[in-house]
Amino acid sequence: MIASLENVSKVFTNPRTGKGLVALNDVSMDVGEGDFLCLIGPSGCGKSTTLNLLAGFELPTSGRVMFKGKEIVGPSPERGVVFQEFSLYPWMTVMQNVAFSVSKGRTKEEREALAMKQLELVGLSDFAHARPNELSGGMKQRVAIARALAMDADLLLMDEPFGSLDEQTRRKMDNEVLRLWEGQGKTVVFVTHSIEEALMLGTRILLMSASPGRIDREWKVDTPWPRDPTSPGMVALKKEISRGLQVCSCANGAPKAAFVEIQGVDDRPEMEV
Amino acid sequence: MDDKGKMDRKEAAEKALREGRSHFEFRPETRRFLLANAVNIAIGIALVIIAWWAVAEAMIAVRGAFFPTPPETFSALWEALGGAKINGATIYFHTRSSLVRWGLGYALALVIGTIAGMAFGTMGRAYDIGMVPVYIVQMIPGMAWVPIAMLIFGLGESATVFIILMTALPPIVINTAGGIRQAPPIYSRVALMSGKDHFSLFAKVLIPAAALPIINGMRIGLANGWRVLIAAEMVLGTMVGLGATIEDSRYSLDFVSAFVCIIVICLIGLTIEKLLFSGLEGVVRNRLGLEEEG
Repeated sequence: MIASLENVSKVFTNPRTGKGLVALNDVSMDVGEGDFLCLIGPSGCGKSTTLNLLAGFELPTSGRVMFKGKEIVGPSPERGVVFQEFSLYPWMTVMQNVAFSVSKGRTKEEREALAMKQLELVGLSDFAHARPNELSGGMKQRVAIARALAMDADLLLMDEPFGSLDEQTRRKMDNEVLRLWEGQGKTVVFVTHSIEEALMLGTRILLMSASPGRIDREWKVDTPWPRDPTSPGMVALKKEISRGLQVCSCANGAPKAAFVEIQGVDDRPEMEV
Repeated sequence: MDDKGKMDRKEAAEKALREGRSHFEFRPETRRFLLANAVNIAIGIALVIIAWWAVAEAMIAVRGAFFPTPPETFSALWEALGGAKINGATIYFHTRSSLVRWGLGYALALVIGTIAGMAFGTMGRAYDIGMVPVYIVQMIPGMAWVPIAMLIFGLGESATVFIILMTALPPIVINTAGGIRQAPPIYSRVALMSGKDHFSLFAKVLIPAAALPIINGMRIGLANGWRVLIAAEMVLGTMVGLGATIEDSRYSLDFVSAFVCIIVICLIGLTIEKLLFSGLEGVVRNRLGLEEEG
């Protein structure tokens, strides 16, 4: 077991408006070493909150979030995050963006060599000196993946990384992530709202539900890759998960806007220097 | 970029259509743009001069009073540039005195404003408290600082520098602090998950992310300082300077010299704005990827 949530609750409050939101209520889960764990569920069910807790961007209101036997107290290079939105620094080249996140204690040359190696891994070494705005959406997210790999993190946290990409590009990227996961021996926690994406990728699929956020069900998927989404087993599983998604209390979804508004207040602390 | 060997726009488009390609390149028409730009600027300047001339002739005709016309003024400017003295000194000496005062006040504003802005931008409580005095200071019109400056520094040089400082400062603080606060939180998250300390977060992430607003503040501060400098010179009894010379024309009735000074003021302001800040902004916008690299 590499990471876990132990009876974690997370409450967001907005003292200005007097509104509060329970994003997670008494959630426990564990992430095994080498897992490809997919978190699915509708908007507002606490998927992103779970990921932010694992990253250390948020701290739980109660319960403990553990990583390698220690309680998580803040972000760390041991846990690389690939964000939902584009997160590259536009004033740096692709190479500089990746090298920026290479962990400390290396010379500039070593950082760049390592960054280059990661860029090769995601097939972007030709674009090392390009600027992020010259890249397509899919390429930007590949750089973000290279950056997370350059951190030497054992745990990759991916928050709907391909949500803004077109279907075709998304499938391609899914396969790349799978290839990297298999090749690098990493552990991945992957948030998505697409059942299909979860089915194609995960060794475990956790279905979350909202109001308040909790884990509803879990499926283990041991079908080898490449998976065929039209095979009878997959189709049956997809049906089952879809049913689970509809049954769960959050079928209409928690209002996303309110969630973000409330989160906004608690979202700031890491900005304080 | 090497543009040699590229076709012109029309030819390249036709070739792409013929060959059924979706993307093509052609020689950028840089010269045409530069020329069009120069013509537009010239027309704009001409409009100002025509309006000025019309007012001058109208005043002379209606009131029978003296009013410097463009030809008179430009010939006086030419003489002044040749070294003729106005208000007891050369135009160069007046310009230099004004620039030194302004430079001093602005340099002080830059140092204080940037440091304060960065501090306020990163500390929530300091921002909430610190911005109150900044907004109060900002609301005080430049010329209203004259009595305060006189009470603290008396007449003369230091008083002028103080007024420039006080008018240039608020926009620098406001824009620096605001720019840092508006940097997307995700930029900080990336730095923190990469194990960066607060100094790196600041120097490598927050400052570049806030570069445009910071430059904008510097730019507004600069213009504020320049405008108030001239006004301050007019009342604070400095003997030399462009503003002092304009003020002096009230008594010497040498209005042509006043107009010469006005032109010099405009030219310096425009030069700093267009050459320095527009250039700087262009570089930063380019670095931020807000414009296609040309």
